[in-house]
Amino acid sequence: MRRIIAILLQNEAGALVRVAGLFSARGYNIDSLTVAATHDPAISRLTLVTSGDDAVIDQIVKQSRKLIDVLEIADLSRSDHLESELLIVKIGLTGLAAAEFDACMQRHPAARVVDQGAGSRVVQFSGTGRDVNAFFAELSNLAPVLELARSGTAAVGCGDAVLTPRA
Amino acid sequence: MNAVLEDPPETTGHPLAGSAMSGADVVVQVLADEGVEVVFGYSGGAILPVYDAVFRYNREHATADGAEPLPLIVPANEQGAGFMAQGYARASGRVGVALVTSGPGATNTVTPVRDAMADSIPIVVLCGQVPTGAIGTDAFQEAPISNIMAACAKHVFLVTDAERLEATLRTAFEIARTGRPGPVVVDIPKDIQNAELRFRGSGTLPLPGYRARLRAIDTATLDAARCAAFFDALGRARRPLIYAGGGVIAADATGALRDFARAFAMPVTTTLMGLGAVDTTEALSLQMLGMHGTAFANYAVEDCDFLIAVGARFDDRVAGVPQAFAGGARYIAHFDVDPAEIDKVKRADWHHLGNLARALDTLRIYGLQHGFRPREQDLYAPWHAHLAALKRTHAMNYDRASALIQPYAVIEAINAITRGRAIISTGVGQHQMWAAQYFDFREPRLWLTSGSMGTMGFGLPAAIGAQFARRDLPVIDIDGDASIRMNLGELETVTTYGLPIKVVVLNNAGDGMVRQWQKLFFKGRYSATDKSLHKKDFVRAAQADGFEWARRLADPAELPAVIAEFVAFDGPAFLEVVIDPDAGVYPMVGPGMTYAQMITGDFIVSRQAQPAALEAGPSEMF
Repeated sequence: MRRIIAILLQNEAGALVRVAGLFSARGYNIDSLTVAATHDPAISRLTLVTSGDDAVIDQIVKQSRKLIDVLEIADLSRSDHLESELLIVKIGLTGLAAAEFDACMQRHPAARVVDQGAGSRVVQFSGTGRDVNAFFAELSNLAPVLELARSGTAAVGCGDAVLTPRA
Repeated sequence: MNAVLEDPPETTGHPLAGSAMSGADVVVQVLADEGVEVVFGYSGGAILPVYDAVFRYNREHATADGAEPLPLIVPANEQGAGFMAQGYARASGRVGVALVTSGPGATNTVTPVRDAMADSIPIVVLCGQVPTGAIGTDAFQEAPISNIMAACAKHVFLVTDAERLEATLRTAFEIARTGRPGPVVVDIPKDIQNAELRFRGSGTLPLPGYRARLRAIDTATLDAARCAAFFDALGRARRPLIYAGGGVIAADATGALRDFARAFAMPVTTTLMGLGAVDTTEALSLQMLGMHGTAFANYAVEDCDFLIAVGARFDDRVAGVPQAFAGGARYIAHFDVDPAEIDKVKRADWHHLGNLARALDTLRIYGLQHGFRPREQDLYAPWHAHLAALKRTHAMNYDRASALIQPYAVIEAINAITRGRAIISTGVGQHQMWAAQYFDFREPRLWLTSGSMGTMGFGLPAAIGAQFARRDLPVIDIDGDASIRMNLGELETVTTYGLPIKVVVLNNAGDGMVRQWQKLFFKGRYSATDKSLHKKDFVRAAQADGFEWARRLADPAELPAVIAEFVAFDGPAFLEVVIDPDAGVYPMVGPGMTYAQMITGDFIVSRQAQPAALEAGPSEMF
C-alpha cells in the first residue's frame, strides 16, 4: 500500500544521507523523495513516498524517528491530505498532432506551455501522481516525448492540524 | 547554530572559560571534563595536533607519582582501539573513547563502531580528517567517514565550523550515553584541530527532536491503571517467566530486576547480552535461552503462560520463528527504552517505554501494596517444581569419559576458581557459546561478548579495555584459535602495558562453529574451516610478544593443576588448550527452527524425539 511520510529534519550536513541510508539499509523502498528548506531555514521538510503494510510502515516511522536530526515524522496517508507532483516534459513538433494537442491543453488547466523552441515545446503540469500519470499518458499519445523531468510528491495534511517540531 | 553561542564564556563557571585554546586543546579539555580516564588510539598525520595536545595535557597535569591523567593506550590496529573502548564501556558503563587518524585509521574502526551499535554500547570515536579545504579532493589518507559511519553509528558529526567543535564534542558524549546507548563518531579536519579558539566551558548543540523524545521516555511513568492492567493479567498466570536482555544492564536496572523477580518469586532467563542481569547461580535463574541456550531455559519458554520481556528484543537467535516463540504464553509484557522494538518481532499485549528500573520498582511496589503475594500464597509452587525438574533432567552435560580435553571442562575448571566474579571476554564461535553456558555470572558487566554483530577478534582487545576499567578484577579472554588470529597483534599490547590479563585459546584447529553448521547442514563438507595444517605455534607467538607465562595444555590429567597455576599467575598469562576438535555446542535450536525442534546432542537429555538427520535447508537461513 502506498504511503506518504513527511519528515521535519534539522538542516544539518549529512542529514538527508542518513534518512536515505536508513531506508536502503533496512530494505525499505523509496518510490519518491522530495526535500527543501521550510519557512524556517534551519528545518528541511522531506516528503517520502513508500509502500508497505501497517507493520512495515510502523517500523519505518519508528526507525526514522530514532535518527538524531529528525524533528518530527508523520504518516500523512493515515488521514486526509493534499499532494502534488511537478512534471516538466519536452515534446517534439515533428509528429505532433497539433489540434489534438491544443484540445488536450484546454482540457487540463493545470498544464501550460512554458517554453517554445524551433522544434520543441516544454509543457509543465502539476497535480497528484495519478493526475500526472493520466496527463502524461494522454500527452505521449499526441506528441513525441523528447525529455522528461518529474519531481517527487510534496504533501501536507488537510485542515488546521500542523506538523511542527516538538518544543 | 546560534544556540551554541548563547552563553558568554565568562558566565559558564568553567575555570578555563574564556581561555584561548587550539581546537586540539579543546578536544582534550572536553575529554577531561567528560571524565575520560583512558583513550585508546593510534596516531597518524591528520590527528597529530590532538595527539600533541594529549601529550602536553599529560605532562602539565601529571599526578604527584608521575601518572598521566589521560593515558593513551596504543593498539596494534585501530580495530583494536575500537574494541578496547568497547571493553572499557561494557565493563564500566561509562563512555569508551577511541582516537584515530583519517582514512585507514578511521575505516579500521568501522567494525567496532557497527559492533557497538548492534549491542548498544556507548563509545565515542574521534577521527582526524584531511583539512576542510582538501575534503573531496582524493587527498592522502582521505575517506568519506561521515558517509561510511552514518550507516553504522548512532550518529556521526563532521566538524566543518571550528566554533561548533566544543559543543559538538560534548553532544557526542551525550548522544552516546543517553537513550539506547550507541557509538558516536566525530570527524575532525586537521585545520579545525589547529584553529585558534576561545574555550567556553559549557554548551551543547541544539537537538530538539532527539532531546524531546528522550525526555518523553525518561519522564514516562506507569500510572495505577496500567499497573492494574499488568497485575490483572499476571494474576491469572501460573507459569510466569522473565526474559531479560542487555537493555537491563545498559539501563543499570539489574538491582530493580532482581528485586522484582525476588518479590514475586519469578524465574528469569536471559539473552546472551543479558548474562549477569541476575545471578546465574540462583535457583530461579534458568541461565541463557535461545539458539544455544540451556535446554531447561528453552523448555521453560515453551511452558510459560506469561512472558515478561525486559530490555530484550526477540532477535533471531532467541526467536528464530517468532510466531512459535513462547507459544504457550497467553500474555506478553514488554519493557524497553526504544519504541522501535515494541511489536517489531512479536506483538506485546502490554508494554511500557521508559526508565526500566523505575518501571520495575513501581510495579513491584504496586503489586505488593495490592496484595499480590505469589510467594506467600505458593501460587507458583507447581511451576517452580516443574522448573527444578527441568533443570535436573535436562542439565548441561558433555562427554566426561573422553580421552580428549573437553572445552566445557576447561571453563568449569576456571569457573571453579573465579566463581562468577571475574570479567570474561570472548571471540565469536563455539568457545563463546561454551563460555556463556558454563561460566557463572553473579554480577552485570562481567560478560563481554560481541552478541549481535558476532565479530571474531573481539575478545582480546575487549579484555584490554576492560582491565583499564576494572583494575580490581581478574580479566580472562576465552578465545578460539580462529578468533584470536583476527587481532593477534594485541597480544603485545597486553604485555606492553603490563596488564595481568589471562588469555585462553581453546584450539580445535579451525572455525569450530562454522564446522558444526557444515556438519549439520552441509553433509560434512568442511569448506575452508579446517586449520589443522596451519603452522602457528601459539605459545611461541605469545612468548615472542612478551608473555612470561605461556603454556600449551594437551593432557587432560594436567588440566586442574595447569588451570590453577595459570589463573593464579601474577601478570599476563597465555594458555593454549588443545581440545577435542569434535566437541560441539549443544543444545542447538537450528536456524529457522522452533524450540520444539531443539537438538540437545548426545549428553543432554531431550524431551522430544531427536531428528534423525538434518538436511541443508533453504539458503536464506543464517
